[in-house]
Amino acid sequence: MRVLEIKRLYTSVNIWGVLSWVFVLLILLPNANILVNVFSEPNENWDHIKEYLLRQYISNTVLVTSLSGLFAAVIGTSLAWVVSVYDFPLRGFLKWGLVLPLAIPPYIAAYTYNGMLNYTGVLQTFLRNSLNIYIDQRYVDIMSLQGAVFIFTLFLYPYVYTITKAFLEKQSSSLIENARVLGRSPLEVFLFVILPVSRAAIVGGTTLVMLEVLNDYGVVKYFGITTFSTAIFQTWFGMGDVDSAIKLAAMLMLLVFAITMSERALRGRRRFSYTTTKARPISRIRLKGLGAVLASGYTFMIFSLGFLIPTLQLIHWALQTYRRVLGLKFLELTLNSLLMALGSAALIVCMAVVIANYSRISETVIARTNARVTIVGYSIPGAVIAIGVIVVFVALDNHLYWLYRLIDPDTPKLVLTTSLVMLMFAYTIRFIAIAVNSVESGFEKVGKKFFEASRTLGMNVTRTFFKVDLRMIQPALLSGFLLVFVDIMKELPLTLILRPFNFDTLATKSFQYAHDEMIHEAAISSLIIILVSFASIYFFHRVADKEER
Amino acid sequence: MYVEIRGLTFRYKNAAEDTIQDFTLDIRKGEIIGILGESGSGKTTILRLIAGLEIPSRGSVRIDGRTMVDGNTFLPPERRGIGMVFQDYALFPHMTVEANIKFGLHRMDGARRNERLEEVLRLVNLAEYKRRYPHELSGGQQQRVALARALAPEPSLLLLDEPFSNLDRDLQQRIRDELKVILKGAGITSIFVTHDRDDSRALADRVVILRGGRMVEIGDPAEVLR
Ligand SMILES: Nc1ncnc2c1ncn2[C@@H]1O[C@H](COP(=O)(O)OP(=O)(O)OP(=O)(O)O)[C@@H](O)[C@H]1O
Ligand SMILES: [Mg+2]
Repeated sequence: MRVLEIKRLYTSVNIWGVLSWVFVLLILLPNANILVNVFSEPNENWDHIKEYLLRQYISNTVLVTSLSGLFAAVIGTSLAWVVSVYDFPLRGFLKWGLVLPLAIPPYIAAYTYNGMLNYTGVLQTFLRNSLNIYIDQRYVDIMSLQGAVFIFTLFLYPYVYTITKAFLEKQSSSLIENARVLGRSPLEVFLFVILPVSRAAIVGGTTLVMLEVLNDYGVVKYFGITTFSTAIFQTWFGMGDVDSAIKLAAMLMLLVFAITMSERALRGRRRFSYTTTKARPISRIRLKGLGAVLASGYTFMIFSLGFLIPTLQLIHWALQTYRRVLGLKFLELTLNSLLMALGSAALIVCMAVVIANYSRISETVIARTNARVTIVGYSIPGAVIAIGVIVVFVALDNHLYWLYRLIDPDTPKLVLTTSLVMLMFAYTIRFIAIAVNSVESGFEKVGKKFFEASRTLGMNVTRTFFKVDLRMIQPALLSGFLLVFVDIMKELPLTLILRPFNFDTLATKSFQYAHDEMIHEAAISSLIIILVSFASIYFFHRVADKEER
Repeated sequence: MYVEIRGLTFRYKNAAEDTIQDFTLDIRKGEIIGILGESGSGKTTILRLIAGLEIPSRGSVRIDGRTMVDGNTFLPPERRGIGMVFQDYALFPHMTVEANIKFGLHRMDGARRNERLEEVLRLVNLAEYKRRYPHELSGGQQQRVALARALAPEPSLLLLDEPFSNLDRDLQQRIRDELKVILKGAGITSIFVTHDRDDSRALADRVVILRGGRMVEIGDPAEVLR
C-alpha cells in the first residue's frame, strides 16, 4: 500500500535519520569531490607529469603495494598455520606476541631500522669495532624500495596473521582432522585443505595490508620513494599545482577501488565470518626435536624483527636522550596527542552511534547503506582524504568570509582551514568505519527485544535509546572508542598535513625528528605511541581471548 | 466490539508469500483469547502487528474505538497503550525489578508510581524481590516480573507470547492457574499465543487456530480442541 510505504518512511525519518544523513553526506562530500576530477580538463603541468613522472609514480606504488601484500600474505599465513596446528616451545606467548608488530607504526619502524643499520648504527659499529668488518653500504641501505617493502611486510603482516588464525581456529578443526585421518601429511593438509578454505581470510587480511601501504606517507617520504602519496604533495606544495594533485589523488582512489573490487572477486562466495556456534578447537600436534626448533626459531625471529629488536633499540635511544627531550615542550606534545585523540574519538563514536542506531531502527535499505558507506572512508588513503578535506574547507571559508567579517572585521580569510576542526573532520572520515563496526556489533549482540519491550512500555525511540540501548552497548562503545583513540594517536599523514601551524603531536614530532636526522631524539615519543598501541592490543587480543574461554 | 481486527495482512521483507493473510478477530472486553498454532505459523507475527512492532500491508486494528492502524494511520508502539510479555521476557538486565516495572510508568507522578509498583508486585506475589536484578531471579519469577511490568501501565490490551515456554512442566501449570486468576481478577483483555493445547484449554475463553498464517478455526476451547 502506497500510503503505508510513505508512513514507514515518515516514521523512520526522525532526528536520527536526519543526523545520520548529514554525517554520511559530510563524509562522502570531499571524496566525491576528488573523484569527479578524474575527468576534469587537464592543465599543462599535467601533461608534463604524465609524460615524465606518472609512470614512475605508478610503478613504484604498484611495486611497493603488491610486494608488501605478497610477502605479508606468505608470512602471515605461514605463522597462522604454524601457531594453530602445532605445539612448540614459547607458543603460548608467541601466539599473541606475533600480533605486536602492529603496535609499531611503519614510519617509526622505518627510522628505527635506518638508525640501526646505517653507518653509525649499532650493527655496523659493532662489526667495525669488534670484528673489524666493513660492509658495503649498498647491502644495508634500507632507504630504498626494497627497504620499504621490508618494513611494510614486517609491521603489517599481523593483519593477515590475526584474521587467518582466527579463521583456522574456529572453522577448520574438523576439516583438518578429517584430512589427517585420510592419511595426509601436515604439509599436504596445509597446501590442499587449509590454503583453499582460508583463501577468503588471507585475501581479506592482505587487502588490509595493501590499503595500509597505500595510506602510508611517512615511510615513503622518509625513504625518499616517489609513490602517489608523496607525489600528490610534491605536486601541490612543490609545484603549486592543486588541479594536478587532485587528479593524482583521484587516480590513487581508483587504484584503491580496484583493490577492493578484486578482493571481492578473489574472496569468492565465502566470507570469512565465523559460525556463531563454538567450534571445537584444533587438537594441535606437539613438535619435538628439529621441528620444535624450527617452529620456535621461525616465529621467534619474526617476533624479534617485528617487535623486540626495534623496541629495545628505541628504549636504548630513549635512555640516551631523555634529558634533552623531556620538558615542557614535550608535555605539550603529549597533551596535544591525548586531547586530540580523546576528543576526536568521542566525537566519532557519537556519530557512529547515530548512524548505527538509525540503520538498526529503520530497517530500510537506504539506512543500511548509510552505515555501509562509512566503510569507504577507511579504505581511502590519507593523502586523498587530506587533499579532499582541504579543498572543501577552503571553499567553505570562502563562503563564510562575510560571516567572519561580521564577527571580526580584521579576520583572516581562512578560519576553519587553519583550525583543528579540519583535522578532526579528516579523522572522522578515515576512522568512523571502525566505530560504526563496533557499535553495530554491539547492537547485534543485544538484539532488538529490549528496544521493542521499551517501545511497548510507552517510550519513544529517542528515550529508549538513552534509557536502554545506550546502557546495553556500553562495552561496544568502549572498544570502539579505544580502537579509534589508538588509531588517531598513531596517525601520521593526515595529522602532518592538516594540523594548524605550530601544532605538534607525538606522531608528527617523532617524524620531524627523524626527518631532521635526529633519530635518537624521536625515541621517547615513538615509545609512548607504541606503548598505547601495545596496551590496546593486549586488551583486545589477550583479555578478549581469555574471556572467550 | 472492544477490539476489532480486520483483514490484517503482512509479509516479511524477503519472504515469498504473505506471512499473515487476512486475519480478522473481534474481542469482547475482559476476554482472554488463545492463539494456537505450530511453530512458524505466524503467532508471534500477529502479536507484533497488533503491538505496532510491524506495519501491516493491509487491514486495521481498533481498540475501544481508537484506531491503532489502518490505511491512513499508524500509531507507533509507544502510543498504543498495549502491553506485551515477550517470549523470553526481555527484562532489562541493567535494572532492578523495581526499575523494570517503573519503566513503563514514566507518565505518572512519583507517589502514584510507587503505589502502582506495590500493587502489581502484590498481584504477582513478588513484593520482597523488588531490589533484585533479573539474573538473580528464577525463571518463574522472571516471568512474573515481565507480567507485572506489562500490567503496570494498565494497558487496554495485554499480549503474551508463549508465556510458559521457558518454564518447566510443574511450574507451567501453577503459573498458568495463577495467570488466569490475575488476568480475570484485573479484568484485562488479553491475547496469548501458545502451541500447547492444555494451555489454551485452561486459560482461554476462545481459541483461534492458526495454520500457515491463516485462521482456520475459532471458537470455544471445549469444541475447538476436542
Ligand atoms: N524477521 C523475520 N524476517 C523474515 N521472516 C520472518 C521473520 N520473523 C519470522 N519470520 C517468518 O515468518 C513466519 C512466522 O513466524 P512467527 O515468528 O510469527 O512464527 P510463530 O508461530 O511465532 O513460531 P514459534 O512458535 O516458533 O514462535 C515463519 O515462517 C518465520 O520464518
Ligand atoms: Mg513465536
